[in-house]
Amino acid sequence: MSLTKQLWIAIAMVTLLSLGGSLVVSTLSARQYLQQELAIKNMDNATSLALSLSQLDKDPVTIELQIASQFDAGHYQLIRLVDPTGTLLVERKYAEHNQGSPTWFMRLVPIETRPGLAQVLDGWRQFGTLTVESHSRYAYESLWNATRQLLLWFAGGGLLCGLLGTLVLRYITRPLGSMVEQAEAIGGRRFVTTPEPRTLEFRSVVRAMNTLSERVRTMLADEAQRLEQLRRQTQYDDLTGLFSRQQFLNQLDAALSRNDASAGGLLLITRIANLAELNQRLGRTAADRLLATLASKLSSVGEAHPGRECGRLNASDFALLAAGELDAMALGEAVNAAFQTALTADLPHTQLLIAVAGYAEGEARGSLLARIDGGLAAAEHDEQHTLQIVANHTDQPLYSHPDEWRKALTHALQGRAIKLAGFPVLGRQGEVLHREAPVRLQLDGHWCSAGRVLPWAARLGLVARIDALVVEAACARLDRHPEITGLAINLSTDALRDAAFRDQLRRTVQAHPTAASRLWIDIQEISALRHQMEFRDLCLTLRPLGCKLGLKHAGRSFSRFAELHDVGLDYIKISPAFIRGIDQSPSNKAFLRGLCTIAHSIGLLAIAEGVGTPAEVAALPALGIDGMTGPGITAEPAALSEHP
Amino acid sequence: MRPFSTRSDLCRSARPVPSPLLRLCAFVVFAALTWFAGANTDFDRMQRLASERFGNQAGDMVGAWRRLIDESRDIPETDQLTRVNHFFNRSIQFDDDIVVWQQQDYWASPLETLGRQAGDCEDFAIAKYVTLRLLGIPKERLRLIYVRARIGGADSPVSQAHMVLGYFATPTDEPLVLDNLIGDIRPAARRPDLFPVFSFNSEGLWVGGAAESSADPTARLSRWRDVLARMRSEGLELTQ
Repeated sequence: MSLTKQLWIAIAMVTLLSLGGSLVVSTLSARQYLQQELAIKNMDNATSLALSLSQLDKDPVTIELQIASQFDAGHYQLIRLVDPTGTLLVERKYAEHNQGSPTWFMRLVPIETRPGLAQVLDGWRQFGTLTVESHSRYAYESLWNATRQLLLWFAGGGLLCGLLGTLVLRYITRPLGSMVEQAEAIGGRRFVTTPEPRTLEFRSVVRAMNTLSERVRTMLADEAQRLEQLRRQTQYDDLTGLFSRQQFLNQLDAALSRNDASAGGLLLITRIANLAELNQRLGRTAADRLLATLASKLSSVGEAHPGRECGRLNASDFALLAAGELDAMALGEAVNAAFQTALTADLPHTQLLIAVAGYAEGEARGSLLARIDGGLAAAEHDEQHTLQIVANHTDQPLYSHPDEWRKALTHALQGRAIKLAGFPVLGRQGEVLHREAPVRLQLDGHWCSAGRVLPWAARLGLVARIDALVVEAACARLDRHPEITGLAINLSTDALRDAAFRDQLRRTVQAHPTAASRLWIDIQEISALRHQMEFRDLCLTLRPLGCKLGLKHAGRSFSRFAELHDVGLDYIKISPAFIRGIDQSPSNKAFLRGLCTIAHSIGLLAIAEGVGTPAEVAALPALGIDGMTGPGITAEPAALSEHP
Repeated sequence: MRPFSTRSDLCRSARPVPSPLLRLCAFVVFAALTWFAGANTDFDRMQRLASERFGNQAGDMVGAWRRLIDESRDIPETDQLTRVNHFFNRSIQFDDDIVVWQQQDYWASPLETLGRQAGDCEDFAIAKYVTLRLLGIPKERLRLIYVRARIGGADSPVSQAHMVLGYFATPTDEPLVLDNLIGDIRPAARRPDLFPVFSFNSEGLWVGGAAESSADPTARLSRWRDVLARMRSEGLELTQ
């Protein structure tokens, strides 16, 4: 039984006891008072009647008349005159027991009256004894009325007490709800803090929980700080602060394997052709300063857009990866302009080559790098054009014009021509945690992968509509197949930011209660951090429904997890950039181990994305990874993909 | 004659309910007194009280009264009447209340009358009534009677309110009159100077075995009940 209910019962009992007790006491004391009044009245009236009778002639008619008139005019139950030998002389009695109060009440609270006795003289002789008894009906009536009135007052008072009690209870126990929520959140390893309530006992409990939360938060922040330092040391180039070669290539691999709205994109490589000569002419220190300046210029271009990564491939080559972007010329011009401001100022003799190439989803890293190398070679020989735009891979896009894309996509959406793929995510024991379900769209009769379609859908603002269809398809599939342990769907940034979409998502999930607990919803780490308000709103909406929420392509910004952990995440999927070649990279191993520790300490599952080789599969569990997915992970071939 | 109570009187009087706590206290005191009142007349206590309040002489007086009662227990009723009448008429001096008690009208208890050795006609009648009742004479035979007395004989034009004690040997006879104006007891027929008006005794005050108590707040409102209650508090039991 809840505390509020118990307190309420206690209040009700105390009120009833006190009101009922005072009702009984006041009724009984009123009765005592009435009895006394009646007794006095009896005595006095007997005395005065006897006195007047004593003065009269003892003619029987006169006596009878005297008594009758007293009886008839007054309020008597009985007047009786008995002579000294015991013979009845006159008697008047009120036979009818017509009462103004209910019989049960008269039986419950009987009024016992004492008759008044007095002697009547006839000269010196005794004439008789007079007995006078007043009618108790009025006493009963007035007692009954008084009791009823009291009862009404007490009922009113009781109701008022109950009402006040309820209000007071509500006021007192108001902090209790948030305390319970906080305790449950801590139980689920969400270390939230709540404002301290005013009640002393509640305050100390909340203070203790807040202290705990604060301590864990500080601990996490320290740990993340330490890990971030480690990451900087091992994954970044010392001189320029850009990604080191190995780490940049990992990022590139991850980008090439993406199949969401940021699939496909641009790679830019810039080379200082005469670095050796500059080294000789300026000296090593000045040359290093030049490199650092150029790297910072490149970084500033990289930071202008989310999702861009910069790296140093070797002594003279820098690279910029722009996932999901199309306009090669604009990117090249932006980098060129940034470099020119730096070079014209101090070093006009630097020979700087830039090549930009577009890449498509799934292209091999080697072929992409070879194409750009070709571009760099062409730039070296063409003194006029140090910026070269390299032609795309032979694989032509489906449509060349945006309008054609719009038409095809709209058509597919209207026809609901989508289906979901199903790539398994395996747990430590090889069990299927859930399946990742990227979307496939049918355009002009061909099924196209997410990576080919979603970038265009994102550019045309249609991606939220696709996501809505995906949610419906996933829920329907989970409903139809109770044996599926879970389906993970990827929500785009556009969908996350769209309040109407979030509302529709809630309604869709609510309509499928059996599916809700098996629905895993992936949000890109970078989107969640950039749009925290919307992300929090989404979490608050979906948590009560039982959905699982997690971050995809995570790891870059783990030091900011502390900002998000209190919203109640369930898992993180760690970006392939940190997984690729993990078995051969001790520094990445250390980083991943730390990341898993942090994730576990706030109750998150750590899932590795993009696992490719058996060596990686073997190395990951020892680092604390709870689940794996990627090209190297296959489950039993049952129902990998299916029409919705 | 004033009718004491009407319906509206009762209804109105039901309103001022005494506080429950007070009622409870009253009840406890009442119960305790009822318990102690079961004892017989406590002459030792009366004697001590008289000495304390009115001096040693009063104590001696109560002692003499006590001896009278002891000695008169087993003699015929007529002799008891004579002795008691004689005792009080001789040892108590007649005086108005205003002289003895500094009040217009005061009904003294036997202890107070004996203590002051003075009293008016009511005090004589009450003291005699109580003494005779203590000696075992049933209450039906004794009446306190208000009379109109002609001072100086039956034909005197001067009359005065007076009280005597009447003894009815049988319920239908005329009584013997115990009076403080004259020394001997005479039948009523031989007292033409007295004209009876009204009579009463303690009958009806203890109906249903309910003991009269000085704690009953209504007892003090009537002179007669007041004096009876005062007697009880002084150790004098009259319930039998």
